[in-house]
Amino acid sequence: MRRDEARAYAEEKGIPVREEHGLLHLVLPLDELKVHLRAFKEMGFNYLADVIGMDYRDYPEGTSWQHPERFAVIYELVSMPGFADGDGSRIYPRVYVPEKRPKLESVTDLWPSASFPEREVYDLFGLVFEGHPDLRRILLPEDAEGHPLRKDHPLGETPTLFGDGRYIEPEAFRAGLRGKDKGLTGWRGGRRKGERR
Amino acid sequence: MIPEPKELRTEEMLLNMGPQHPSTHGVLRLVVKLAGEEVLDVIPHIGYLHTGFEKTMENRTFHQNITFSPRMDYLHSFAHDLAYALSVEKLVGAEVPERARVIRVILNELSRIASHLIFVASGLLDLGALTPYFYTFRERETILDLFEWVTGQRFHHNYIRIGGVKEDLPEEFVPELKKFLDTFDHRVDDYQGLFVGSPIFEGRARGVGVISPEDAIAAGLTGGSLRASGVNYDARKAYPYCGYETYDFEVPLGERGDTWDRMVVRLEEMRQAARIIRQAVQRLEPGPIRDPNPHFSYPPKELLATSMEALIFHFKLATEGFEVPPGEAYVPTESARGELGYYVVSDGGSLPYRVKVRTPSFFNLQALPKAAKGHFFQDLVAILASFDPVLGDVDR
Repeated sequence: MRRDEARAYAEEKGIPVREEHGLLHLVLPLDELKVHLRAFKEMGFNYLADVIGMDYRDYPEGTSWQHPERFAVIYELVSMPGFADGDGSRIYPRVYVPEKRPKLESVTDLWPSASFPEREVYDLFGLVFEGHPDLRRILLPEDAEGHPLRKDHPLGETPTLFGDGRYIEPEAFRAGLRGKDKGLTGWRGGRRKGERR
Repeated sequence: MIPEPKELRTEEMLLNMGPQHPSTHGVLRLVVKLAGEEVLDVIPHIGYLHTGFEKTMENRTFHQNITFSPRMDYLHSFAHDLAYALSVEKLVGAEVPERARVIRVILNELSRIASHLIFVASGLLDLGALTPYFYTFRERETILDLFEWVTGQRFHHNYIRIGGVKEDLPEEFVPELKKFLDTFDHRVDDYQGLFVGSPIFEGRARGVGVISPEDAIAAGLTGGSLRASGVNYDARKAYPYCGYETYDFEVPLGERGDTWDRMVVRLEEMRQAARIIRQAVQRLEPGPIRDPNPHFSYPPKELLATSMEALIFHFKLATEGFEVPPGEAYVPTESARGELGYYVVSDGGSLPYRVKVRTPSFFNLQALPKAAKGHFFQDLVAILASFDPVLGDVDR
């Protein structure tokens, strides 16, 4: 299996490996990203299924998986079954991108199918792919401001108001759902959240 | 008097097509570079239907998100429900009972047939054949009625629950489904007879928009369009889910990768889908339809009137949702358009931390410029139709 091959390669090169829910994650260093990805391509991962942008800003600490930088880009590489000698292996190499310098190399020269998804990550997360032939916004209008899938992008919601002065503030409501904050509802006029009249 | 030109002059022209155009299957805008009638390049502009579902889903509970997932692909919407549920089930470790899995397979394949019926009809409509639309909508109407019967909805079913399905099949469903299956195969033969062999269709589809397997892989094609190029990849066979490995069905393949192959491969897929449904109906045994784990699965409705505990669990699930252990999961599935999967990241709360949808149409659209180059402008319309894009699926 190419998956085991990729795993052996990662262990040899000192790349952190993590297996979870059947997915093989490999954490590649940012400055050698293309070197390793090219090696995976030569290994037979001929199909790039997806490029996933992530913003780990609000990811809670204390879980088993620690994320060293705010942004991450996850590549989904497939050895396409039914084509050449593909065996259906899938690996998920990822690279962490610092907030201060949100730039990484494009992989469109290795897998041309990366063109659209890299544009999407650029559009929604603001990560710049150097060497991409046509890096423009793809889903949002050209004059849109901000990158909406970043965690600090506002949702633009308005609080739900009830007749008796009680209101649900979306942010606090969701914080309550996440178990970080007690107050699910507040009262208009400066009352404390969750306090009864 | 204007002097006559000494020689005929040609120049390249940029032509804008869409976003409001009847043959772009929604709101796709194509900027086409033309030399006379010949297409030199196609630049797709997408995003006119971008709704920000991924951001919305980050702020709703895991069960609420089942309302959003089918709205992306409004033709094969059941596949989106299923793909989302499978990823979340992997994260929470749910075990779906056999009956629920069989029901899922039946409805998924029915939805696939409904989607392919639209594909055949609209593809031929773009070639100027209006009649098939009326015929295929007869079968599609039957399928939508069946869906309405089971789920209460025709398009956006909201029928799947994490760990199972919402409710059991109504008694009349199976006899009606069998009635539909009895007539379906020869209806597909009829549809095939409507266009295969017609000189117009042969002339406009055979050898038009050819994509070699190498180009298809490079451009990221999946689904029927990839199989038309002869690459045998079907997620139902390669990464079986919902027990697809136990069903006996074939994956139709094309040889040349042209518009003709892409059309016929999907017709054959409809027959295979009907074959899967026939086998699945045989396996419908009475049994539970949801994982009994009360921490993420709604209690049976009849218990709510008698059991206090069930009521508490129901209330908690409806208001707060359930907590999903931290982790990242992805399950590749096969929708009518290609590989579909939800990359779901959980931070341990009751809302997903991030949902990334790998939609097939988005990637399939990248192959369009390659396929259309060098063909006439009127063929571009047919080639686009043969990729079966759904713009909701592209833009999300």
